[in-house]
Amino acid sequence: MNLNVEAEKKNTYDAIVVGTGITGGWAAKELSEKGLKTLVLERGRDVKHGDYPTANLNPWELPNGNRPTQEDLKTQGVQARTGYTIRPDSKHWFVNDLEHPYTETKRMDWMRGYHVGGRSIMWGRHSYRWSDLDFEANAKDGIAIDWPVRYADMAPWYDYVESYIGVSGQSENYPYLPDGKFLPAMELNCAETELRKSVKEKLNRIVTPGRVAHATAPMPHTPWRGQCQFRNMCIRGCPFGGYFSSNACTLPAAEKSNNMTLRPNSVVYELIYDEQKGKATGVKVLDSETGEQVEYYAKVIFLCASTFGSTFIMLNSISKRFPNGFGNDSGELGCNIMDHHLGAGANGRIDGMEDQYYSGRKAAGFYIPRYRNIGKDKRDYLRGFGYQGGGSRQGWARGVAELALGADLKMMLTEPGKWSIGMTGFGEFLPVHSNRMTINHNKKDKHGLPVIDFDAEYKENELKMRKDMMTDAAEMLEAVGAKNINTYNNLAAPGIGIHEMGTARMGKNPKTSVLNKYNQVHACKNVFVTDGSFMTSASCVNPSLTYMAFTARAADYAVSELKKQNL
Amino acid sequence: MNSLIDRREALRKTAMLMGAAVSASTVAAFLEGCKTRLELTYKPLFFNEDQALLISEASEIIIPKTDTPGAKEAGVPNFIDTLVKDCYKEEDQKKFLEGLSEFDQNATKAFGKRFIEGSPEEQLGYLKKVHDEAVNAKKADPKTPQPFILKLKELTLLGFFVSEPGATQVMQYIAVPGSYKSCIPLKEAGNGKAWATS
Repeated sequence: MNLNVEAEKKNTYDAIVVGTGITGGWAAKELSEKGLKTLVLERGRDVKHGDYPTANLNPWELPNGNRPTQEDLKTQGVQARTGYTIRPDSKHWFVNDLEHPYTETKRMDWMRGYHVGGRSIMWGRHSYRWSDLDFEANAKDGIAIDWPVRYADMAPWYDYVESYIGVSGQSENYPYLPDGKFLPAMELNCAETELRKSVKEKLNRIVTPGRVAHATAPMPHTPWRGQCQFRNMCIRGCPFGGYFSSNACTLPAAEKSNNMTLRPNSVVYELIYDEQKGKATGVKVLDSETGEQVEYYAKVIFLCASTFGSTFIMLNSISKRFPNGFGNDSGELGCNIMDHHLGAGANGRIDGMEDQYYSGRKAAGFYIPRYRNIGKDKRDYLRGFGYQGGGSRQGWARGVAELALGADLKMMLTEPGKWSIGMTGFGEFLPVHSNRMTINHNKKDKHGLPVIDFDAEYKENELKMRKDMMTDAAEMLEAVGAKNINTYNNLAAPGIGIHEMGTARMGKNPKTSVLNKYNQVHACKNVFVTDGSFMTSASCVNPSLTYMAFTARAADYAVSELKKQNL
Repeated sequence: MNSLIDRREALRKTAMLMGAAVSASTVAAFLEGCKTRLELTYKPLFFNEDQALLISEASEIIIPKTDTPGAKEAGVPNFIDTLVKDCYKEEDQKKFLEGLSEFDQNATKAFGKRFIEGSPEEQLGYLKKVHDEAVNAKKADPKTPQPFILKLKELTLLGFFVSEPGATQVMQYIAVPGSYKSCIPLKEAGNGKAWATS
């Protein structure tokens, strides 16, 4: 008995954070800096900042021109569905699909990495604020349920996280894409500037430098971080700390507080619920290296294990009080899967400006904020889309289709080719109850844990929107006088946007939502879920900045509630 | 090296038959020429020796040595061997070898010899003809399946421009640019050549 009490004491903290990705890192930093003894559990291997094995390799040091081998595709075939992740320079950041399988009643492209830092190492870094156009959308359209917050609630938290992570960008004073606390923008290049002018003049739409979480100025509050070096090799991990990641920023900050204990190789598979106390008392962990099962205890638990990861833990936490999954009184847990749908857009050639070029490799192109279904514009679908794109001068690949050969070909390719511009839409995805995940007990992962089954698909609204995503892109390229415009609409499957969200949504009513407005489980106040699972709708902008803002806000609330002894 | 030995032997016999008409040094130079042109600088793991020699010669025609290294010196033949072995699906490997074999057979139809046995002029003339027809066919109908010669051209360009000489001497490459200049005169963008990576 005494031994057990000792063990329990040893394994007891003020707070537990599950996951070290973009939200886990934030929860770790905020809770530990506010004085809580915080245990941070990561299911994957440890990765210290700088521990990025391919980060400094030159093109000739990567095998096969950085193409995946057939062997890679055997073990990471699902992760390779993006077409750009399973390459020698970045494949080690993505899971082995044979060890970590899932089943697909309908196809789901679930891209993920199990290591300290999670997808904050490989993320796209685009960071956009939501506006009330987004927060009010469900209420106005009568779709799903209303958000329990508005932009005014979130604006200070956007300020807070932007100031910390560093977001390069340009103010546009456009109400549907609020400006933020920006570091110097990654300026538009010659072709992109022409696009901006033409699109503004002829279509009254905005083409702005991509707002990306890059340190384009010194970051004195995180002095261990350097600035962006314009290498554009971000997916490999940045030894300079040029962009925001948990490894480069929040985890070192948490460590400096001396209140954080980080435990890698710790697969959390269940929350421990105390029926008497009506609280979660801890988590059950499987050590992925030793197979040992351990329990850890805390007053407050933050689930930041990624949307499907956290929802899996909740669905797998069955008790008398929660027979259908943790906090699942509403029946919404695992439902309402959303993502952004992409792969529709256009590209074209821009003649002229041949004596103009650029130097350095910009890690962001341009962004075109949503303009559809705003003001007088009414479409045959709800919501809208934004674009990410870029302009550049063509490289050597153009030589394949040219008649030139030999010394002529070689000479031709020493010079940059024509300018070209491409853009692809990122469309909003409506929440639908039937788009869901469940636990499939018939299949097991390498730890012997049951796997997730996905049953989600694009619906009519998404499909209708894609036509505009394609033709509007061509229209904007025509506006700038592009030639050889090529349009495309390549439908993949949900998940391919790597913005999966919505499976434990927040709302005002516990009967229709899992979390309240502070990301707190309605039915169990000492558990917070702050990764993408809390999202009530999807907007069309990249979500990470919003996840970070909600996480920081939830951590602040949790600590104040703890102090008031409300948890 | 069977094909080369046979060729050497044939030449020797020819020289003997021709007696004094061909000096020993001319034969030696000829043989020496063959030897330098048809030697592999690596040990192929996917292609057989004849296939590897064809790839090697053809890639050097596509990107020859000028005042900067060509495909061979940049290691392109080895690169292609490894890439086709490791990255191609089995069916694509098969198609590639079929294309290679057809390319070689058509060389015999065109100039009476196997590709690797042709003179530099014969090889260039034939390769250019096949290449130009393929490029024009692709231009006329972009949906035409990529013929062997364009697959080879693509692999050659890839292998060459990810190589150190291709990236740093023919194009330009800076590992750590440190800054970004968005729109500047071409001649002020480094040394004014195209950037090897984007």
